[in-house]
Amino acid sequence: MWLPVMGLIIGVIIGLLTDIRIPEEYSNYLSIAILAALDTLFGGIRAQLQNIYDEKVFVSGFFFNILLAASLAFLGVHLGVDLYLAAVFAFGVRLFQNIAVIRRILLTKWSTNGDK
Amino acid sequence: MGGKKNIGFTITAAILGLMVAIQFRTVSEPVVRDTRDTWELREDLMKEKEIQSELLREIRANEEKLEKYKTEKQQSKENVLRATLDELKTEAGLTDISGPGIKLVLAPAFDGIGPTTEPYLSPDLLRKLINELNMYGATHISVGGERVINTTVIRDINRETKINGRSLNQFPLEINVIADSGETAEKLYNRMKVSKSVEDFFIDNLRVTIHRPAENILVPAYVDSIRVRSMEAVKQGKGEGG
Repeated sequence: MWLPVMGLIIGVIIGLLTDIRIPEEYSNYLSIAILAALDTLFGGIRAQLQNIYDEKVFVSGFFFNILLAASLAFLGVHLGVDLYLAAVFAFGVRLFQNIAVIRRILLTKWSTNGDK
Repeated sequence: MGGKKNIGFTITAAILGLMVAIQFRTVSEPVVRDTRDTWELREDLMKEKEIQSELLREIRANEEKLEKYKTEKQQSKENVLRATLDELKTEAGLTDISGPGIKLVLAPAFDGIGPTTEPYLSPDLLRKLINELNMYGATHISVGGERVINTTVIRDINRETKINGRSLNQFPLEINVIADSGETAEKLYNRMKVSKSVEDFFIDNLRVTIHRPAENILVPAYVDSIRVRSMEAVKQGKGEGG
């Protein structure tokens, strides 16, 4: 359980230390990709808690969602329609749903633990 | 949770962290870069100002050139020729001229009183009048709107007096005369007042009214083209041309 958190912290540290910067105009894509990644990550956590976690689904979903979100944003920029909003909406809704499910699962777990 | 499952999770988490860090850097960068941007802006401003001064210099140079060309043009032979041409045209009577002068009006002496005889303007008399005007300092004359130039003919064709081929049978007939100056116009006026030819017109049942000198008498241009038949340019060195 602590390993993913360690990985997250390591990633952040590496990112901050290596001083990598992307051009300003691509920061939109990166932010949408982060949203997609967050969504996938929370989806993975929920799946783990529900014991339906599948590594292949998780990893492929992670990259696929990121790519899809970025390409949607790209398409939106070129079409003049704010298509990235679709991605933001979809991922945002799913993020909330996932977090709600996780919260309920954790709550049930704790309440059962407390009952014991 | 097995260890194998956690590895994929960890890697994705690390990638997410990396992305977040990069995004954070990128988004928070402008605060740092703003100061640099100021300098860049200053540098850019300097550059633009340099370009501006460069452009201004160019404009000035071009204006100078333009001015130079203008003065050159003014001093060119072409311009001298043009001025001469204009002068000659004025002299030949091909331009409208206005200036100080007098106005003579020929009108029938008796309007509807007694036996009406059509007033007849004899070309001899008109010629005499014009000669007189010329003698007393007239520079430009027009008769009934027809400019009198050096080659103007005044003659009788079928009992109709014609000037430059146009009939003079509309009365009152205006004769506009321009003199060199107001003074000359005044003299001309006085001379014409006592002129003999004015009396001669009366015999032909025409009364000549001489108006007081005015500052702006208009003499129109000669409208036809001047055809020179029996004249040749004077060869230099010879007294008279052939």
